[in-house]
Amino acid sequence: MARRPLEDVKILDFMWVMAGPAGSRMLADYGAVIVRVESPTRIDTARTLAPYRHNQIGPDASALFANCNAGKFGITVDIGNPRSREVIFDLIKWADVVTESFSPKAMRAWGLDYPVIRKIKPDIIMLSTCLMGQTGPLATFAGFGNLAAAIAGFNNLTGWADRAPAGPFGAYTDYVSPRFTAIAIMAALEYRRHTGKGQYIDQSQAEASLHFLTPALLDFSANGRVQTGAGNSDPYFAPHGVYPAKGDDQWLAIVCRSEDDFRALCEVMKRPALASDARFKTMAHRRKNASALDEIIGNWTRGLEPREAERMLQARLIPAHAVQNSVEFYDDPQIRHRGHFVELPHPTYGDTIVEGPRAKLSRTPAQARRAAPTLGQDNQYVLEKILGYDEERIGEMVASGVLG
Amino acid sequence: MLSPYRVLDLTNERGLLCAQILGDLGADVIKIEPPGGSPARKIGPFFEDQPDPNRSLFWWSYNRNKRSITLDYARTDGREVLFRLAKDAHFIIESDSPGYLASLGLGYADLAAKNPALIGVSITPFGQDGPKANYADADLVILAAGGPLVLTGDDDRPPLRISVPQGYLHACADGAVGALAAHHERCLSGLGQHVDISAQQSLALATQSGILAAPFGADQFRRLAGGVKSGAMFSQSRWPAKDGWISCTFLFGSALGVFTTKLMRYLGEQGWCDEETAHKDFIGFGQALATGVEPMSEYARVRGILESFTAAHTKDELMRLALEKGFLFAPVTTIEEVAESPQLRARDYFQDLEHPELGRSFRYPGPFVKFSESPIRYRRRPPLIGEHNREIYCGEMGMSDRELSQLQAGGVI
Repeated sequence: MARRPLEDVKILDFMWVMAGPAGSRMLADYGAVIVRVESPTRIDTARTLAPYRHNQIGPDASALFANCNAGKFGITVDIGNPRSREVIFDLIKWADVVTESFSPKAMRAWGLDYPVIRKIKPDIIMLSTCLMGQTGPLATFAGFGNLAAAIAGFNNLTGWADRAPAGPFGAYTDYVSPRFTAIAIMAALEYRRHTGKGQYIDQSQAEASLHFLTPALLDFSANGRVQTGAGNSDPYFAPHGVYPAKGDDQWLAIVCRSEDDFRALCEVMKRPALASDARFKTMAHRRKNASALDEIIGNWTRGLEPREAERMLQARLIPAHAVQNSVEFYDDPQIRHRGHFVELPHPTYGDTIVEGPRAKLSRTPAQARRAAPTLGQDNQYVLEKILGYDEERIGEMVASGVLG
Repeated sequence: MLSPYRVLDLTNERGLLCAQILGDLGADVIKIEPPGGSPARKIGPFFEDQPDPNRSLFWWSYNRNKRSITLDYARTDGREVLFRLAKDAHFIIESDSPGYLASLGLGYADLAAKNPALIGVSITPFGQDGPKANYADADLVILAAGGPLVLTGDDDRPPLRISVPQGYLHACADGAVGALAAHHERCLSGLGQHVDISAQQSLALATQSGILAAPFGADQFRRLAGGVKSGAMFSQSRWPAKDGWISCTFLFGSALGVFTTKLMRYLGEQGWCDEETAHKDFIGFGQALATGVEPMSEYARVRGILESFTAAHTKDELMRLALEKGFLFAPVTTIEEVAESPQLRARDYFQDLEHPELGRSFRYPGPFVKFSESPIRYRRRPPLIGEHNREIYCGEMGMSDRELSQLQAGGVI
């Protein structure tokens, strides 16, 4: 079997909830060996978040937790216990990378901040990721990605002009920043390869995510314009919208990029005369009369099965797609073809399903190798196989309550 | 970090961010544009609203730390030039429709035959293969296909996108992750490989794992303006402030209920609700509502209390309370407020890049992380069309002036 890209990389992972773990999950897929430390008493919030397997709440039932932590080993350590130092320090010596996603004071309070860790392992790479970064007046602001999304401006850019901002779905910065977490760690490993030096990486999830709002930030810098939510309208294309289709909460997204697209749409709708209608004859006209046009299109789509309409429109190369929920995405032939979902054995449930790696490497493909650990699942493995403790020492550790 | 490496960026408007990330990390990125300029330069907004290929703020957003050359590689002599460039390159990023470059004899396999260490990244709407690989695309289309769109917006209106196009950015960032993973493997094996990104799959990450509801046999999330519905429950995250809106996580259960408990105790102390309400079991409140032990009207009443509290305070006051007390409040911030944020200023986040041809500088979002030893530097403002033709073709590839003029006269460069 081909080597996995990161199989020589060892990560001690203190990250929790979504943003951090979603980032280290990518590295696990590429072969990094990750030991994830969880508190035996303060449960990872991700374990408590929906969707839950068959809607039954339980510590291993969360799809979010399962998805963000596949491929990692899990150990429980009570960091408040003085004897936990032994295990944590030995893991630091073992690791190439230490990651954490607490609010900035936590690692310092535990005596596990970068200056301490670097003394134990001088070439360590340490990454801290939190909502606003390690410094500044909001450094200690703790919370979840929905709050960072609001502070970073995403919410005010998502909404209808006549209503209060709807905001993006959920913890939006938790979907953007994990890529930058994985990128930063791999870049620091590259730097260490050339120089032998480790370093400290301070990631503000809000700052990383602002790279997805650059055009709006530049519009303010260059033109003083404050962009706000513009519904589904587009500054160039019309029609450009989401139209009702047959069924409960069924919708169809349609975009016409050109006169050709629009003529083809009118033909598919069996309304060829619309293409030369004075209100719609150019993109500028269609933008000006967008609501009248949207109503005509909506009246046509309303009676259509969305997937059927998608096929009719795509057959004419008009950008269109059914607006898919989880059930429809799961059944999507494209998603099936790409092998997006992966089944893994699970110690509690027999099996489970997670999303597979997103970037497909042709020669050394990434792979989700095991289900997310149950609480403390790998305590024995980590102490015995990774740290090389003998039975007596492991027994002492258990007796001292370090593992909870 | 990546300064020893060269990246060829062939992408159109779909894929520009990917190579910019590698450029921020120090790579030498050459943006290859068709003569006349990339189609992405036609996308606004524009500086002073003057449509001009060198004034596109969309272009500026994703082309910093790159040099630009023009090349029509669809033509035979242009193709030869691309082969020469690819021979010494370490990465090549492209976002054309699947099969297009291969049809020109410039597919990853063709280039890797001459340079086996080359890493190729392809960013497309649905990936390189499969029944939808050749679908026509747009931001809205991949958002619809990938899962986040149906979850976003008001429940009485159609699903809604974020007004700054997001879809391909997720794919581009995944492309950079894949490129770096392939690079680490190359350091072991000496060999490159191809990285295939599907924007549809990248976007599934933006559902907070809601995309797993079907295989988990779980209730799906449903959209709600300023919140989300899950089964019979809904959670509201947008709350009114005196001068706008805030986001507040007001949830229950063993982890998030702790924050709600703290908040409601405080509202009780401050006289916003009675003692009994302030001391309800907010850990178990969600379960109690879901099972009907508590009526939904009680949920409405409690939300009403919080709403009257937030509406009586400004965004700033609520943010200060969040910092002092650990409440889960954050202001819904305008782009102007982001640009002027004291937090971002204290961290020296924004970077001014001089555009000498326009006689002023512009403010760009700063490094995506702060590296202590190898900080990200913004070395170059986004290039003008073909700004580095002479520097690269003559200075680095050793073309003679005559050869360059011939290619220029032929419309290849």
